[in-house]
Amino acid sequence: MDQSPWRRRRRLDQPALSSLLTAEEAQGYSQGPFVVLVRTRPEFERWLDAEIAGLEGLQVEDLLGDPEVWARAAQGSGRLPLDVVVAEPARDFSALYRLADVRLVRPVGVTLMARPGFLKALRLAASLQLPVRLLPGQPDAEGLAELEQALQFAMHDTRVEAPVEFFHSLLASFRGFDQGTLWDILQVDPGPPQEECASCRYQSLCAGFFKNPDPTYNCDGVRQIFSNIESMAEEISRDLAAS
Amino acid sequence: MSRVFSVILLPTAECNVACTYCFEHKEKHRLSLPLVPQLTAQLLDHLEHEGIEECEIYWQGGEVMIMGPAWFVEAGQIMDTAAAARGLRFRHYLQTNLISYTPVWNELIFSMFNGSLGTSMDFPNQHRKLFKGGSDGYTNVWTQRLREAQEAGLQIGVIAVLHQGSLDAGPAAFYDYFTEELGLTSFQVNTPFPGGPAKAVEAEFNLDKPALAQFLVGLFDRWMERGYERGVRLGPFDELIEHFQGKPARLPCIWKENCSNQFISIDSKGTVAQCDCWVTSYPETYFGNVFRDPNLTEMLRTSPARREFVERPKHLVEHEDCLECRYLSICHGGCPVRTYSALGTMLAKDPYCEVYKAIFGRAQAYGQGLLQRARAAR
Repeated sequence: MDQSPWRRRRRLDQPALSSLLTAEEAQGYSQGPFVVLVRTRPEFERWLDAEIAGLEGLQVEDLLGDPEVWARAAQGSGRLPLDVVVAEPARDFSALYRLADVRLVRPVGVTLMARPGFLKALRLAASLQLPVRLLPGQPDAEGLAELEQALQFAMHDTRVEAPVEFFHSLLASFRGFDQGTLWDILQVDPGPPQEECASCRYQSLCAGFFKNPDPTYNCDGVRQIFSNIESMAEEISRDLAAS
Repeated sequence: MSRVFSVILLPTAECNVACTYCFEHKEKHRLSLPLVPQLTAQLLDHLEHEGIEECEIYWQGGEVMIMGPAWFVEAGQIMDTAAAARGLRFRHYLQTNLISYTPVWNELIFSMFNGSLGTSMDFPNQHRKLFKGGSDGYTNVWTQRLREAQEAGLQIGVIAVLHQGSLDAGPAAFYDYFTEELGLTSFQVNTPFPGGPAKAVEAEFNLDKPALAQFLVGLFDRWMERGYERGVRLGPFDELIEHFQGKPARLPCIWKENCSNQFISIDSKGTVAQCDCWVTSYPETYFGNVFRDPNLTEMLRTSPARREFVERPKHLVEHEDCLECRYLSICHGGCPVRTYSALGTMLAKDPYCEVYKAIFGRAQAYGQGLLQRARAAR
């Protein structure tokens, strides 16, 4: 079963979407930019140093627990970005230390599923200067509280040197620097638009992200997070104007 | 993007002085030149396997100058020639007690060590001693050698280990001794730890942590007031200040994300361990031997002793309070050997945790102040 929450990804500086292909599908692929999803050590080793037109990166799943994979990734130097998906961040957060040496030799970021306890992984990723992409899903009350804590951490903690998405791009958007919609920021294939969103003041940024997959999801808590980021952006603008 | 790999290479465990706090097991054994090619090949194979182009070699002992300059000329030539043939490089550094330094060393130091050396002295000197002449004799000889090396144009960095006497003397006297009396523009302070078998002198190094923190913060203040803008380098404060201004900084090994992947130490018999502290004090933690094991990379990959080093930071964020600490990104639980020597296990955070936090807090405040000043000046 495909555990990946997205099938196509877009780099912000690229108009075209990159296709997310399994290692098998990627063999001989020549129809544009693509990212390879690797889930086993042989797949990882096969693609790690591949120099193939269109190959834009590896999305690595289920391999954080394998020290040999990361020892291999820390060898030599490489340009191919690695996106390491942490599906169970509360359980697996400490294994992020295995990426400490990898980041010295190649671009590496982590994708965290915002499941209960993900804040531990966010703190450690930030301490290792790893860029983070938070996939919030449709958070319940507990999840929203942790997301709010994560926001405060991402915006105010001195440990945070690399971007924590989607927070930092939303902040930039609220300051007038267009970063696209949440689908673009999180590089997720857009879901169907929702009629109810038309009246939402954050519609141009959210674009129905939080109404997927369940269109009945109550967005009040999420809107509060958007509002908090908007307030932070306004505060920055005021500070800059005053200085 | 590249990793730095360093080797603390101990060509001898022999020493020409009798410091009371030394944790090294001294014996008259030296690395013989015929073994240098084998050692070099192991290192180069490892560099190639790991895709690292340059390796830093920190030569220390024992006392390295016991080997004599001619030995270093040959050893350096063997290593550098072999590295160049494979498109790789060694960069050499020298750490010596200076006691047997003479101008005969200068040519080698300029050619092999880029005209610089590291040495060590404490203030007040109570524990560094000559076999005959005690600590006063040591201080006199060392100071004389330092003057000669300075006059020869060598760049000299000094490491000072803090002890109760340092705390009693206070940060002002300590700072002024190194900068004004000795005329140094680069020195660093190390926190002490009782390596090796228990000795009575260890009590002298079991410093009261709040008092040590207060001393270091006071020293930081003295340096900022008198040295920072005049270009005096005082480690580790200088790198911390850089870090807190958002500049690239090379923090000392005690604060690496994971020291296990960044350096090893090898002694004169080929024993491989995490660093000089481990190779000279704790046989139970040896990784292997470069003259017996055919493949250094494989040794490091499979050593059960090394596994504990590799997994230590992971263990700390799971079991200690490090994850909650705002300085995790620059500390990572601190030094394994300081922890091991104090607690008998490395799977705990560094016992100097509170001391480090005090230093980090001071560095952060100074760094932010400097940034604000820079912004205001624009």
